[in-house]
Amino acid sequence: MSGEPPDVVGAWLHSHEEDTETAAVYRPADHPFRPSRRPRRGLEFRADGTFTDLRPGPDDRPREVPGRWRDEGGGRLRITFPAGDGAPSDLSVISCADGVLMIAK
Amino acid sequence: MTEPTVSPPPARDLCGTMLVHRRMLNESMSYRSQRAVIENRALQYEIGRLSSARRGPVVIPVVVHVVAGRDHPEQNIDDEQVHSQITVLNQDFRAANPDVSKVPDVWRDLVADTQIEFRLATRDPNGEPTDGIVRVVTDRPGFDHRDGVKSSRTGGADPWPSDRYLNMWVCQLAGSLLGYATFPGQPPHLDGVVIGHSFFGTTGTAAAPGNPFNRGRTTTHEIGHWLNLFHIWGDDDGACSSDDKVADTPNQADANTGMPTFPHVTCANGPNGDMFMNYMDYTDDAGMFMFTQGQLARMNACLEGARASFLAAMPEAEAEAVRADGSRHADAGEARGVPDGEVERLLHDSERLTTEALHDIRAALNTVAGYSRW
Ligand SMILES: [Zn+2]
Repeated sequence: MSGEPPDVVGAWLHSHEEDTETAAVYRPADHPFRPSRRPRRGLEFRADGTFTDLRPGPDDRPREVPGRWRDEGGGRLRITFPAGDGAPSDLSVISCADGVLMIAK
Repeated sequence: MTEPTVSPPPARDLCGTMLVHRRMLNESMSYRSQRAVIENRALQYEIGRLSSARRGPVVIPVVVHVVAGRDHPEQNIDDEQVHSQITVLNQDFRAANPDVSKVPDVWRDLVADTQIEFRLATRDPNGEPTDGIVRVVTDRPGFDHRDGVKSSRTGGADPWPSDRYLNMWVCQLAGSLLGYATFPGQPPHLDGVVIGHSFFGTTGTAAAPGNPFNRGRTTTHEIGHWLNLFHIWGDDDGACSSDDKVADTPNQADANTGMPTFPHVTCANGPNGDMFMNYMDYTDDAGMFMFTQGQLARMNACLEGARASFLAAMPEAEAEAVRADGSRHADAGEARGVPDGEVERLLHDSERLTTEALHDIRAALNTVAGYSRW
């Protein structure tokens, strides 16, 4: 990848029906998703560096885990959480265009 | 490996962030302490140290808040669709659902008639007659999982007192969400269940062709949570480490979706495998059709603990309405389903829980006030 880093700012939900062998597919939260009893995993990247991980919760709503995100270049994003809310993780963005965010599995 | 350094945000932001974080921490501390009391009681029932005192069905008064977008008349579901949901609940919670016959033989003895019934309220909080359906027109095209539908300030509908009514909000939900619930112990103004209108009841917008969530089971499932049931797989993200704190439901790895075939073995739970036809799994509506006796023990612990107000303080007006309907609950005492001697004890327990909750909330408010001065 070259040039501008992918602009991932926004709220994304996992469109697991579209996943491939190597990529998890996310679409904007307002995409007309198919109804799903299992809550969709969500990622919210904000321009100020804050991040919200939406994880399936025990009451069927996404459980919001706030953290921070940082673009490390080369499509790599570093996600960190306050102590106790999970280990830091790296996301590898394959592409982000036309309302589709693809993250390496 | 050490924690990676994160460049600190501006001081003003830090202060705001810490305030929010502190508030969330306090809320979660209050909630956690409430949950500990509730879970302790559930355990007492589970191990048989306490057993249910109620006899006969309890009737839960329901208010359905239909919150519809101004430009989306289809969201304003009709009375028939609301009534179809109540019918489903009274079948599912009484093991009177036609598909209960599909429960595999090995689990037939576990099927529970919970003796819990639901009826649209006939009196509003002021004692005025009502059909139990509140209709609100909103400028919002839909709602997400963040409780906005539960307050008129955010375009939703304010709840009726949650110690006397089960609040159900029906609206357009975003993000492909079917519905969500609150466990007992949440703040009263958030207590209740929220259901997407296309998944509520069996007629109207729920009857759209190809909808696998067309049998009203989303609401059955969410009320399961409202009565303190956990997901049957234990919410451990596919591991076998935690279960639903109910002994008669097999430990299973992850949620089942769609229409699985029996048996589906995970977590070494063979030969019978997952009880995927349980209302607290994630299968399609046509694939779930039972609660177990163990789940009923948890529901009873909840009804005789955190939600004892429904047994002990059943409004007289409601009891009279039952009589007027000519239903089989001949008098208020029977409608309560609890012998009079037990009422005192349940009220006492309920009062104690409320006092503890108030104490927690006060402590949380003090801490937040301290922080805002800082
Ligand atoms: Zn659930």
